Amino acid sequence: MIEIRLHGRGGQGAVTASRIIAAAAFEDGLYSQAIPMYGTERRGAPLTAYVRIDNVRVRERELVHTPDYSICFDEFISMNQTIANSMKPGGIVLANSKFKPEELPLAGDIKIACVDATGIAIKHLGRPITNTAILGAFCKLCPEVSLKGVEKAIYKYFPGRVGDMNVAAARASYEQVTDLITAKNKEPPKQVEEIVSGGYGALKDVSGWRVFEPVIDEEKCIGCKTCWIYCPEAALEWTANNKPAMISRACKGCGVCANECPVKAIEMVRVQVKK
Amino acid sequence: MVDYEVMVGNKACAVACKLARVNVAAAFPITPQTSITEYLSELYASGEMPGFEFVNCEGELPAQVIVNNAALVGARAFTCTAGPGLQYMHHPMASTAGGRCPLVMAVVHRGIKSMQPDHSDLMSQQWTGWIHLYVENAQEILDTIIMGYKIGEDARVRLPVAVGYDGYVLSYTAEPVEIPPQEMVDKFLPPYKPPRSLIYDDPEASIGRGGGFRSGDPNYAWMMHNEGALNAEEVIKEVFAEWAKLTGRKYGTGMVEEYKTEGADVVITAMGTVAGSAAAAIDKLWKDGKKVGLVKIRSFLPFPRADFQRIAKNVQAIGVFDRSLQPGMGGPSYREIKNTLYDSNVHPVVAGFVGGLSGKEVTVKNFVDLGEKTLEYAKAKKADAHPIWV
Ligand code: SF4
Ligand code: SF4
Repeated sequence: MIEIRLHGRGGQGAVTASRIIAAAAFEDGLYSQAIPMYGTERRGAPLTAYVRIDNVRVRERELVHTPDYSICFDEFISMNQTIANSMKPGGIVLANSKFKPEELPLAGDIKIACVDATGIAIKHLGRPITNTAILGAFCKLCPEVSLKGVEKAIYKYFPGRVGDMNVAAARASYEQVTDLITAKNKEPPKQVEEIVSGGYGALKDVSGWRVFEPVIDEEKCIGCKTCWIYCPEAALEWTANNKPAMISRACKGCGVCANECPVKAIEMVRVQVKK
Repeated sequence: MVDYEVMVGNKACAVACKLARVNVAAAFPITPQTSITEYLSELYASGEMPGFEFVNCEGELPAQVIVNNAALVGARAFTCTAGPGLQYMHHPMASTAGGRCPLVMAVVHRGIKSMQPDHSDLMSQQWTGWIHLYVENAQEILDTIIMGYKIGEDARVRLPVAVGYDGYVLSYTAEPVEIPPQEMVDKFLPPYKPPRSLIYDDPEASIGRGGGFRSGDPNYAWMMHNEGALNAEEVIKEVFAEWAKLTGRKYGTGMVEEYKTEGADVVITAMGTVAGSAAAAIDKLWKDGKKVGLVKIRSFLPFPRADFQRIAKNVQAIGVFDRSLQPGMGGPSYREIKNTLYDSNVHPVVAGFVGGLSGKEVTVKNFVDLGEKTLEYAKAKKADAHPIWV
């Protein structure tokens, strides 16, 4: 049996991807099971999904605790040790990243490969929905799942032209995925910062959820407090000169404030991945 | 032609409604049942189900009233809900069963104290007098919804059937499902013909609710209801045997499904999705030379008394796993098994485990431990006090 763990964010299609893998394996004559794990169901919130593939009907229904493969759909989460934790010895991590596999700060008895799925998705789909853009790369690494099976499964979920675009993205990632390297550091760092995936709560740090974040133009701002009233996370505080400021740990990057500001003093700016 | 599709549990449920040619469905969307209502809405909109009415109503109580009345006038009716939605349905559910309306309801388990699954929602509805079936995987959902109509509509039963399955890990989990051909299902499940009287065969009777008796004895409706619920056992066995012949898919006796119980020293029990993980644990235990079998309880109401009296004869201990607990009273299947064995002349050790409450994950490892503990109890001829927490 092969066990796979998928890391992504709501809106990137990780759950659909898990179902496409399951359907692809079935097309290839194997049994499969795709279990999604929902936290707070919101675009941008980190989530995980799990897939099992076997040549007999899969009966166990626990979550996958020691995967053979870990696939990460998100460039930011790709920089977090979470995606490389509790793998089977020699397990394979496939990360969505522009960087080379040796540049990712991941440790353990693992092998790593990277593919720039965001770039591929923007090119082929016009949007950073990275699910199909990473699946081609996955087929290259996992002999049990064929590119043909994935293509067939993609058309089941996206018939017609949208299917063509997604298949093109999958093919591109099959071509562009890097070679596997063995992680240099065998020992993962003692203190791993967990990515918060489930639930709301005033005490939770949701800064890791942001793909875009509000940048406030104090010149334009008229201090009307509309943003502050509408922010669902109470993530704005007031500076001495009566202007709003983002509270980093509380802001989930939803963009409600920017949408509500009557003078367009807030812009949502893409957060950059740092090495 | 037999068709296959990788689909989630909730879709398997909606596909079963289509194959059973349901006439009326009424439901209020609630996590983790919501996508059934979405699939049914799509089936309604696409016209794939001619003559099908779908009422997306304002709450679970009216949903139950609508399907209750639809069944009363002869429609094949379906509803679905979860957790607190089921509790909100409680009042008209008694009238659906009391009125002997044989509809089917999917209960996508969500605990009554949590968004996450346990069996407390359906367990809390025992007194409404429905038939309660619990299923493990998406294929079993599809099969059991279809069979549910045949069981409930049988003249010996005439009762509504609840099919319970865990939210999230089954409702949203995708896996391969075999879709039986429509012609085969049509032959297996002919259109529903309601009797003149839903309570007793009286050609003169006017169609009406279950309360209108002329006999004068207020106990009468309860006596008949009790008889129908008990009759369900033989009907379940017949219907499952017939389905197994048609499809090749066998679910034990229909009441229970045994796995590697032959030659086992002890058995453990499980219901619903966790039975799958339990089966994986059984494989591991046998590999280690530990002879532990699994009894998956498929029908909770009626309870598989005859099956357990038979199984008890061959084992030294039964480790019962309940995914619900009535505080102060204990796990429901543990109590029923003990109750059942009182009437038998063999009395193996019965250990009552409780776990998986409010969505707590139950792992294969948990069931390996549970099997090993049950073997220890068999040796000691005594179990720890109930509940043994998992
Ligand atoms: S993006 Fe704006 S509205 Fe949304 S959480 Fe951050 S500060 Fe609040
Ligand atoms: S809504 Fe816009 S103008 Fe008003 S306080 Fe917020 S940023 Fe300033």
